[in-house]
Amino acid sequence: MNNYFSEKIVVDEPEAGLSTFVMPTGAKDVITFAGSLLCGALYSPKKNREISSLTSGMLDKGTNNKDKFEVSDTLESVGAEINFFTTAHHLQFTGYCLKNDLETVLCLLAEQLREPLFSDEELSTLKKRLIGNLERTKEDTKKQAMIGLLRDLYPPHHPNYAHTTNTKIELVSSVSTKEIRALHKKTYGLGGFNFSAAGDVSPNTINALLKEQFSGWKDGAKKPYQLNLKARPVKPKERRIPISDKQSIDMYLGQAIGIDRQHKDYYPLRMAVYVLGGNFSARLMQTVRDEAGLTYGIGSSVLGTNFGSDGYWSTWATFAPALLEKGREMTQNQISKWYNKGITENELNAKKTTITGTYQVGLDSTGGLAGRILSNAEQGEKIEHLDKYPEIINNISLDKVNKTIKKHIKPKELTFVAAGTFVD
Amino acid sequence: MSQKNKKKEPGFKFIKTSGGIEEYHLESNNLRILTLEDHSAPVATFMVTYHVGSRNEAIGYTGATHLLEHLMFKGSKKFNKEKNTAIWSELQNIGAQINATTWNDRTNYFEVVPSEHLERAIAIEADRMRHAFLKDEDRQPEMTVVRNEFERGENSPFDVLDKNIWATAYQAHPYHHSTIGWRSDIENVSTKRLQEFYNMYYWPNNATVTVIGDFEKKRALALIKKHFGVHPSSQHAIPAMYTEEPEQEGPRRIIVKRGGQTGIVGIGHKTPEGLNKDTYALQVLGKILTEGKVSKLYKRIVDPGLATSLFMYDFPFKDCGMFISYVFLTPETDHNSVEEIVLQEYKQIIKEGIKQKELNRAKAQINANVAFSRDGSYAVASALNEAIAIGDWTFYSTFMDHIKKVSRKDVQRVAEKYLIEDQSTIGWFIPQD
Repeated sequence: MNNYFSEKIVVDEPEAGLSTFVMPTGAKDVITFAGSLLCGALYSPKKNREISSLTSGMLDKGTNNKDKFEVSDTLESVGAEINFFTTAHHLQFTGYCLKNDLETVLCLLAEQLREPLFSDEELSTLKKRLIGNLERTKEDTKKQAMIGLLRDLYPPHHPNYAHTTNTKIELVSSVSTKEIRALHKKTYGLGGFNFSAAGDVSPNTINALLKEQFSGWKDGAKKPYQLNLKARPVKPKERRIPISDKQSIDMYLGQAIGIDRQHKDYYPLRMAVYVLGGNFSARLMQTVRDEAGLTYGIGSSVLGTNFGSDGYWSTWATFAPALLEKGREMTQNQISKWYNKGITENELNAKKTTITGTYQVGLDSTGGLAGRILSNAEQGEKIEHLDKYPEIINNISLDKVNKTIKKHIKPKELTFVAAGTFVD
Repeated sequence: MSQKNKKKEPGFKFIKTSGGIEEYHLESNNLRILTLEDHSAPVATFMVTYHVGSRNEAIGYTGATHLLEHLMFKGSKKFNKEKNTAIWSELQNIGAQINATTWNDRTNYFEVVPSEHLERAIAIEADRMRHAFLKDEDRQPEMTVVRNEFERGENSPFDVLDKNIWATAYQAHPYHHSTIGWRSDIENVSTKRLQEFYNMYYWPNNATVTVIGDFEKKRALALIKKHFGVHPSSQHAIPAMYTEEPEQEGPRRIIVKRGGQTGIVGIGHKTPEGLNKDTYALQVLGKILTEGKVSKLYKRIVDPGLATSLFMYDFPFKDCGMFISYVFLTPETDHNSVEEIVLQEYKQIIKEGIKQKELNRAKAQINANVAFSRDGSYAVASALNEAIAIGDWTFYSTFMDHIKKVSRKDVQRVAEKYLIEDQSTIGWFIPQD
């Protein structure tokens, strides 16, 4: 397993500014691919970051040569799919197809990215659907609690900040095709374009196809956008978001941690948090769920650390309204114990073998592979990093993990956010 | 040498092969074993499917199959916290993907493991097949865990509407209640009742074991014999579920009013048992109506902005099923207009049939789905599990062959036969402020 990825992935640059990472596997007939360009929300005008998501949402609504039904029919007639979505930094796409249909699908992908139609009529119906989806998120307890947490931890314009649903609806409503065309013209292009594929695929075929389809495309951004905004100062806050007729409450406890994934403490802190709440055999699931029976699900993770962004640590759980306070108290007790006494050598070793094994199990299907390879490329890491990851984890010492907890966690200054129907 | 002799393994009876999958029975206890070797990644999936699901429950113990599934993780004779060999840590510490699921016709436990650890998964599943603890002190906290799972489902307007449509469409048959069960049954079912359930159904002769991926068959069978061979078959016959749904004699309606933001319309029609030959044409019909942006209903409803999304399902179950289309409305859209459009499209197919292009597209979509259902050992196990549940695992391996034979006339015929008003149950979720 030591050089598994390095030996199997073929890295190339068929066109300047377009990097490819192709991994042939033993899968038969199926190909999964993923890709991204540096034109996410942060590349939109500051006054309205939603322009980028509307732009990606319009990519399947017709091109200069095909109407929206021809676009969809091209894919659906061969059982293939391409989906576009926007993150803070990227326009991302994922797709799958059968081996024999690769050319058809990649030609369409290029046409969608390079020559989208952007009609007023399509934008109008897209907005109607997006606003309907946003209205529906108002009844989503988990989503609303997460929005509340991020609003408390970060200032506006920070990549991790979240608008209220009503503000988002207003922003979506105001986007025009003129703004979309301008954004597409300015930001879409070669430069930071990464493409990964896994499955029954030949690297030569895929590189030749991509070179043909993207040759001569204009330049886009080359490096991730650096924003020098920091999280709000850490201090405890409490927010309850009432939503009627809900039988389960979603709760977050969290705080900004001030480090990104390049920081030397990132992996030790992730290991510490994994021991606290990374999987079923972690402390929170074993105590709050398995022993006390207070929740169906509880977990803890470090998030929002990509591309220089100062991330956050959060613990999430669901509780019946009558059990919320008890559940919160027990969760906080576990966090305090974890902070005060640290983790044990046995716990650290167990999680190390978990991660090594998980890495191997992740090779089971093409879907996870394409995403994992793309994410590595987006971070600017070499393919060898995928092979070194288990080694990085195995070299983390107990002392380092426990010092990292003390250094970055402030258990008495947690922000608490809950959404649902509260008991009086 | 005959095919059967080639596949002879000591202690096992070779039954048949289809699509590369081989079926064996362990002679000592009649445990069924399915194997599919694939060495493309150093990973193997091990799964035990018990032929018991929420269809085997009745009033007072709905949700018992699922609650029992939860208790099966609380420990067994060899794998438990006291011995520092708890099931979750034994498996997660080696990086295994591990879980269990319960549905109408089956309960399955699975482990996706680095292939060198296959024996650990086999040993754990064998031990808990007959030696699970099922203690009352474990049931009490687990009941509230499951109740929170129920409560989370109740947070979702779609889940609530779906439960209500099934409960309205099926009145006598146990598909009436959802797998999670009714809240009061989850809270009150006794540990004794769960133990009886376990002792009734958790036997080698009521289970199918599946091994897929990177393993060597001879060794895997030897390990299965070593660990599962210690159990005898049950001394009692596994009870048959005999309740049949009386004929529906008119359309039914259900309205759910609850706090929410946007409406949902669900339109269900009764369909036959999964192994019925009409299942294949119904699957094609479902794709033509709702799969993709050029499908009939998407073009009429989602594309013009009447809804944010739609989908349909017609899962093949053991006894009977439901062809249900769900439409998630945009804020200004009224339920009635969308319901009318869906029913108009059904009538159109009944009257005029479908186009060859639509049939070809649906078959291409299913063909791709089938190919991806073989992408990885877990994907195979997951799809195969549902075929095992309905009573014939070759439903999985021969599915595409049957789909290829579906004609335009078949699709029109099943639409005419099943999408009829008197067999319908229509549900609306109406959000309240």
